[in-house]
Amino acid sequence: MGNTVGLVTLVRRELKRTLMVINQVVWPPVITTLLFLFIFGVSLGSRIQTLGGVPYVEFLLPGLVMLNVISSSYDESASSIFQQRFMNSIQELLIAPLSPLEIVAGFLTGSVLRGLVIGNLVMLIGLLLVGVHPRHVVVYISFMTLTALLFSAVGMIAGLLGKTWDNLAIFTTFIITPLTYIGGVFSSIGLLPPILRHVSLFNPMLYMIDGLRLSYTGRAEVNLVTDATVVTFLALVSLIIAATLTARGVNLRV
Amino acid sequence: MDDLSFDVAPGEFFGFLGPNGAGKTTTINAIVGLATFQAGEIRVFGHDVVRDYRRARLCVGLSPQEFNFDRYLSIEEILIYQAGYYGMPPSAARPRARELLAQFSLLDKRRNTYLELSGGMKRRLSLARALVHRPRLLILDEPTAGMDVELRLELWDFLRDLNAGGMTIFMTSHYLEEVERLCNRIGIINHGRLVALEDKQTLRASHGNASLQDVFLALVGRPTRG
Repeated sequence: MGNTVGLVTLVRRELKRTLMVINQVVWPPVITTLLFLFIFGVSLGSRIQTLGGVPYVEFLLPGLVMLNVISSSYDESASSIFQQRFMNSIQELLIAPLSPLEIVAGFLTGSVLRGLVIGNLVMLIGLLLVGVHPRHVVVYISFMTLTALLFSAVGMIAGLLGKTWDNLAIFTTFIITPLTYIGGVFSSIGLLPPILRHVSLFNPMLYMIDGLRLSYTGRAEVNLVTDATVVTFLALVSLIIAATLTARGVNLRV
Repeated sequence: MDDLSFDVAPGEFFGFLGPNGAGKTTTINAIVGLATFQAGEIRVFGHDVVRDYRRARLCVGLSPQEFNFDRYLSIEEILIYQAGYYGMPPSAARPRARELLAQFSLLDKRRNTYLELSGGMKRRLSLARALVHRPRLLILDEPTAGMDVELRLELWDFLRDLNAGGMTIFMTSHYLEEVERLCNRIGIINHGRLVALEDKQTLRASHGNASLQDVFLALVGRPTRG
């Protein structure tokens, strides 16, 4: 006996929250994408003919899409859960006939949807301004969705474990942002010295960006199977951790 | 909690008393699923609150001591979404929310957020939210805290009517007059242990017909006044 109406209500609540803070959600990715496209695509990028065998702007755009999918899906679940914990309004959910899995599914669905909307918005900017778009739609949708799911779950874990807003910011500042930026958003790991190239293989962001880039360029620096395996494995592990923390009521129930 | 065991009969108006920190809110949290417990069991209308938590929770409405509303939602949406969490689709939740908003004189505030309400209005909203899914057991943790005398009397009448209509009510309050007027049976806990469980006449009679306040003070080990 599941509670489908309860689950859909939670997803609606998450989307409603996103719409209430739309200026914080939509404009930052649009403006940063435009700036990155201008600086790296038009200004500096005009000095780079090709990278990874494709025009630089075509190399850059999938990285920008993934950058925004990662940050928006993480931000949504982390801030929503932490805020509800902070205000105690999460108790509305905890006393309702919703299973821990339904609560996890509700938060993650809302967060994944935000990641997909923002990612596709950046994709549209690329299509309209520089005429670059994904060619392999199934690969594009799969990597975007798996990555949004992974970082929604990571955000949920951070939202459950965090004690202060500062804790959430530390995770973004010291882990997510550096790993994303050095994971191949702006340049190829093929340009790195051999030692750093090997170190880069331990950066999980590399596989997400590489997989999505393949959907645009048809070329991968690693390979599609490895990219998909790493992202799927990490998404599953994060989901299991988020579900276990919720089921055990960590920082939710006394 | 220490070996706490008691029943509340269907249709009863039960007062659960104790000094601050005695374990009243912890007991309520265990009933509604906000606290976990290592040993023992709690049943709500026969449904185990752990193993059969969905059915148990459908039977319970909670108005907590601290306000815990969702600040992103309007007053009306708070009720509609809460009904949704309990499995009520929007087509049924909307009229139910309107009905409760009218009943608690909050209809003209339906588009406001809870932050724009007075303390008494927030207390009424909390009660409306607890009732939105038509529970059989209403748990009230300090329901009249922050209410003026007139609103408190109105609420007493409302609770009496609810109880007369068959609703089981489990209430904590620091206002002993309120408990004496409303409740049929009273349980008193101190340091997590139940120190009294009687209907109110028997409880007072067993202490020489003392006032409920003196009975309470005697049972929790504090000197009586005047």
